[in-house]
Amino acid sequence: MALRVRLRTKLALVSLVLLIVPWTGYRYIVEMERFLLEGQQQALLATAKAIATTLHEKPALMRLTTPLRAPRQETDAATDGSAPVETAIPVPADMGQSADRDASREDESLAELLRGAERSNVRLWIANREFKILAVAGSLKPAEADGEPGRWQRLLAWLIHPPARDFDDAFDEDMLAAGPEVTGALLGAGGTRVRNTRDDRAVVVSAAHPIWAADNVVGVVVAEETTNPILSVKNEALGRLVILTLAALGAVGLFLLGFASRLSARIRRLRDEAESAVDARGRIASLATASTAGDEIGDLSRSFSTILGRLAQHHAYLESLASRLSHELRTPVAVVQSSLDNLRMEGVSPQAAVYVERAGDGLTRLSRILSRMSEASRLEASLVARERERYDLSTVVGNCTEGYRLAYPAQDFVLEVPGFPVMVNGSPDLAAQLLDKLAANAADFSSPGRPIRVALSAAAGRAVLAVANNGPCLAEGTAGKLFDSMVSIRPGGGEEPHLGLGLYVARLIAEFHGGSIAAENLPGRDGVAVVVTLPTAP
Amino acid sequence: MARTIAIVEDDPAIRANYVDALRRQGYEVSAHADRPAAMAAFAIRLPDLALIDVGLGDEPEGGFELCRSLRAMSARLPILFLSARDSDFDIVSGLRLGADDYLTKDISLPHLLARVAALFRRVDALTAGSPGEEVLERGELRLDAKRFVVSWRDRPVDLTLTEFWMVHSLAKFPGHVKGRDQLMRDAQLVVDEATITSHIKRIRKKFAAVDPGFDRIDTLYGMGYRWTSDGA
Repeated sequence: MALRVRLRTKLALVSLVLLIVPWTGYRYIVEMERFLLEGQQQALLATAKAIATTLHEKPALMRLTTPLRAPRQETDAATDGSAPVETAIPVPADMGQSADRDASREDESLAELLRGAERSNVRLWIANREFKILAVAGSLKPAEADGEPGRWQRLLAWLIHPPARDFDDAFDEDMLAAGPEVTGALLGAGGTRVRNTRDDRAVVVSAAHPIWAADNVVGVVVAEETTNPILSVKNEALGRLVILTLAALGAVGLFLLGFASRLSARIRRLRDEAESAVDARGRIASLATASTAGDEIGDLSRSFSTILGRLAQHHAYLESLASRLSHELRTPVAVVQSSLDNLRMEGVSPQAAVYVERAGDGLTRLSRILSRMSEASRLEASLVARERERYDLSTVVGNCTEGYRLAYPAQDFVLEVPGFPVMVNGSPDLAAQLLDKLAANAADFSSPGRPIRVALSAAAGRAVLAVANNGPCLAEGTAGKLFDSMVSIRPGGGEEPHLGLGLYVARLIAEFHGGSIAAENLPGRDGVAVVVTLPTAP
Repeated sequence: MARTIAIVEDDPAIRANYVDALRRQGYEVSAHADRPAAMAAFAIRLPDLALIDVGLGDEPEGGFELCRSLRAMSARLPILFLSARDSDFDIVSGLRLGADDYLTKDISLPHLLARVAALFRRVDALTAGSPGEEVLERGELRLDAKRFVVSWRDRPVDLTLTEFWMVHSLAKFPGHVKGRDQLMRDAQLVVDEATITSHIKRIRKKFAAVDPGFDRIDTLYGMGYRWTSDGA
């Protein structure tokens, strides 16, 4: 079975295309983050550079244990004996207390320097070329909690993780040594690096800048900062994006849903109208009201209404055709009739009288056809104003069958009626007319010598009247059409004209009684039963 | 003096045929094709009987109009509708306007002539006021087959000629079932069976107007009708 997807569902699926909007927003935010990160790196590098600049040409502060490779110029200067660098460079192994004191003083001054350049959440390092950390200042962690996260942020926490406040900011000298930015700086080129903290809970951006002493790199300044500020900005943007997108999607979704509902409601209404416009008998029961909407559905509704209108006209024309035709033909028939009568009265020769009689016979048949043709439409017209009464159907059936025994002397009738009255609502005259049609029909098709069975039964609020005869079966597919106007399924010929209105009249009467009529082959396929089902009147 | 009959019929062939047939019977016939011509003629002299078609030329209901005018001129002039229209509605409308009978055009000329003669007899009997010889009495029902008057419990029942003949046919042999065909024959009528049903209904109504408890006409579905005598 094909999956039935409603218009509303389809439109909802189509509206998923709107998800491209938040995606674009997300891409933009990622781009922004990258840009900010770059800015942060530059800023850190600038900080590191600034500090490094103040430390240039002060190799003593670096407390190197290995001598510097003296640059040529320095060597020239050293011959003057005024180069303190060389004197300071060798660090004897037995430096002793004073050297320690010196070192702590120098560290003190470095720390002083760093504190001066310190910014919140930025950690500054100074290390010498031997990866010995000389001074540290600042902390990667924020000094104090920067406000509680907003309600929305908390709501979206499952989606957007707030930057970790609590991470392992322990410093690892190996990491420092392994850091490409530090080694890069020691080789003379400042650089930046983005790395994770050891516990992977935060991302740290670090920038390193070399400290020069003449041509030698004597140390590095490292500035570190977590990307948390950027993350905060990004998260805020993401949160706003999510909320805005959700709101927009919700609004658009609601709007589309409403639109689709209205659209499908209109289409459904049109469908219902179209379906109810034609009743079970294929007649135009009511015209669809043309919508005044200016769109395509309105157009469809209008053209539907027009088509139905035309169809109804044509239908009415066809239906009235038989009665109009019979009415129109009545006058010329009357002319022929009165002329023949006059001819008879004038007296004609015996030879001519034969022809007058034949003409009379033909005319009689013609008149009968005409009255049959108008019978159905006359009945239809009279049904509208006909009063209903409650009567015993079994009496009518019994009486009628008695009558048929007289009317069809060559035909046997078997009557089966229940021993109690079967009360129905309708018109006994019409019921008799219905039975007349069924009996006439059964008599026409009955095999000679076989009885026609007229059976009435009542159960569960229904009266079932069956008229069955032995004879030819109904061909497949014809059973339903039998009761339509002007449908006759007969082998052909015969004296009596057959217009296919008899069973149609029967159906009109059955429907007048609120019931239905159907024809079916007998179980043994040796005849046909016409079954009328009527609701009983309690 | 020959009786005069006016025929108002728009179809020239039918008109001529009816005129010929009636003239052959010795009636003096004047034929008119439409309502104004007929009204002009009636203004000068009223006929003894009028035979009117319902649809007259451009006027689909011209015959009804004419009947109303004629009834206004004379209360006793026999008026006979002769129309191709055979719906219950038309028949009821025609009879309500005061027509004595409503016939459809498939009636044969001999039947028509018989009706015309019967109507004249009824008029004669009414004007003469003499008691008829052919009186049929069935309990409280009294049928005067000469004057075509019916009374029930000594009160007159106003039946048309068709209805009279039907009642006559039924009451002649009380208890006998008369089929629709037979009723049609006795009433000298060629109509379909549904029309017989509505005739019977009208007859019952007319009797019921005189006696609300009237229930003498039995319907035997599929067979016909019968007149039940007292206590039957």
